[in-house]
Amino acid sequence: MDSVTLHIFILKAAFACYLGSTALYLAHAIGRKKLWLKSALVFFVVAFFLHTLCLVLRWTSAGFLPVTNLFSTQFFFSWTLALTYLYFELRYRIHAAGLFVVFLTLLLLASALPRDPSLPPLIPTLDTPLFTWHIVFSFSGYALFAMAFSLGVLYLVQKKLQTGLLPDLTTLRKLNEEAIFLGFCLFTLCLILGSIWAHIAWGYYYSWNIKSVWSSIVWLFYAGMCHAKFIRRWQGAGYAWLSIAGFGVVLFTYLGIGLLMQSNHPLE
Amino acid sequence: MLKSIWRTCCSLKIAIILASIATLLAMGGSLVMHFNPDVFGNLDNTTLIQWTEESGGTNPGLSWWLYATGFLIVLLTLNTACCFLDWLFVIRARWRKTGEYLIHVGFVLVVVAYFWGSLAGARSSGIRIAEGEIRPLEVMPGHYLRLDKFEPVLNDQGRPIDMLNTVTLLEGDEVVASQTVKTNTPLLHEGLVIVPSSFSRLTTGFEILVPSMGKGYRLTAGDAVPLKDGYRLIADAFVPDAVESGGRVFRRSDELREPAYLLRLQKDGKEQWRGWYFLGGPMPGKLRQAGFQLIVRSPVYKPVSYLTANRDPGAGLALAGGISITFGVFLALFSFYYKRARGDRPDIG
Repeated sequence: MDSVTLHIFILKAAFACYLGSTALYLAHAIGRKKLWLKSALVFFVVAFFLHTLCLVLRWTSAGFLPVTNLFSTQFFFSWTLALTYLYFELRYRIHAAGLFVVFLTLLLLASALPRDPSLPPLIPTLDTPLFTWHIVFSFSGYALFAMAFSLGVLYLVQKKLQTGLLPDLTTLRKLNEEAIFLGFCLFTLCLILGSIWAHIAWGYYYSWNIKSVWSSIVWLFYAGMCHAKFIRRWQGAGYAWLSIAGFGVVLFTYLGIGLLMQSNHPLE
Repeated sequence: MLKSIWRTCCSLKIAIILASIATLLAMGGSLVMHFNPDVFGNLDNTTLIQWTEESGGTNPGLSWWLYATGFLIVLLTLNTACCFLDWLFVIRARWRKTGEYLIHVGFVLVVVAYFWGSLAGARSSGIRIAEGEIRPLEVMPGHYLRLDKFEPVLNDQGRPIDMLNTVTLLEGDEVVASQTVKTNTPLLHEGLVIVPSSFSRLTTGFEILVPSMGKGYRLTAGDAVPLKDGYRLIADAFVPDAVESGGRVFRRSDELREPAYLLRLQKDGKEQWRGWYFLGGPMPGKLRQAGFQLIVRSPVYKPVSYLTANRDPGAGLALAGGISITFGVFLALFSFYYKRARGDRPDIG
């Protein structure tokens, strides 16, 4: 078994565990059995361990963080999403409230698995720790914005249904604000490192390429959100709607531009 | 009255309104930009002010959003600066938000730096320079760039993957900096950044066969070819694409189209003839009489490097802003969790 085949085998096992975990979380949301909840978390932790193992193996095989094509970015984005869910689950026990993020993880992995998983050689421009950290912070930020989207949607659902199946409104609001704040901080670091890298690679720290412009838009949007939480009218439902709209901007920046337009961040 | 004006300047709502309008404008404008590369395609190769004078100013219908967004960003920056000053001088529990306000001040510095660089900076891309050549730097008057050595790095398939340019920056005759410039390793000097952009090759002459000698020679500028009966042919210059006009020969381009040599014929050390020989035309009479016959075998190339030299006086300030933001982010993260742990977070309920 060659290394790439092994990676895919591990990744498929991780996918199966994520799937099992999702089913158990959903079952617990309806049936409320403790065993299902514990099993769901165990499945998720195993899935994340396999996912991480695959990442480490691919990183070691390549000699660099492999995030230079669509398979690799989907793979890495799904890993950051899973990490984000794990953080919120272990810290706040959000259970099924974060399942959108797990669904997104599954969707990304399902989309990545049929693609070419081979490790492309690294072009010299990308051969710098600035690139590695730029990517790590970028996808971590995206993952937290996805979590904010999930919590924003649930906030609106909870406000309408007032169900015991979901955390209360205050908790959802606080978690949403934390996700936005953390995502904004990490995305800010991503932009700073990207700018320094651009300066030493191309001679300017701000490019007018559409990807860079939309990255600025994402930053400006979430900077606005970090301020909006201090305005009473925007707290609660308004903030939830902003979280949903913000994730639309993130999706366009990551997928829309990468797949539909020519940019300096192509997704091939 | 003054207090009221100051409160307006520091208004959080105004910040959100400005950021929102700027975001919406940039969203629409970015698409205009993407679908009009003839107007916006050159934005990264020029400073914003130069672009405004050239492409932007001649297409106001397409570029107005950029000016409007820039104006809103300036207002947002002023608002951010006022908020920072307000926090610095007015609010008591200053430590509570140090991280957040370091981000604010960093943002102000970055925006100021960008506008400073756009107004006072200069950009020059595609500076073609061959080994040993010296070129004046348009972006930094009085300074010159010398390429001491150039070495392309190729992968196993022969594809270029990097360019090693050993360059020297001169101010007049004085060396001010020297280093090997390659991918992600620029030459940085007082706001000047020099990075490699690409490379190609320049025809510098030909490998020729001289039947009378039964040998092949390399004939580039400065080379000499021994001929029979004590004759010697020296190439003083080579032009890959030459044109004659008014009795003078000019270089038309660097493409290999109409190659010509400036040759000197010597016999026993004495000059017999000197003149241009266009390889596409008839051989000059003196050379024919000397029994010189030349058969071109293959061109001789020399690599030339294309460098980008940008001068941005605001780059250092932007870096300072970036450092401020980075410290701010870490401090804000620390204080967020610290305050959470203490239950001291009234603003998020």
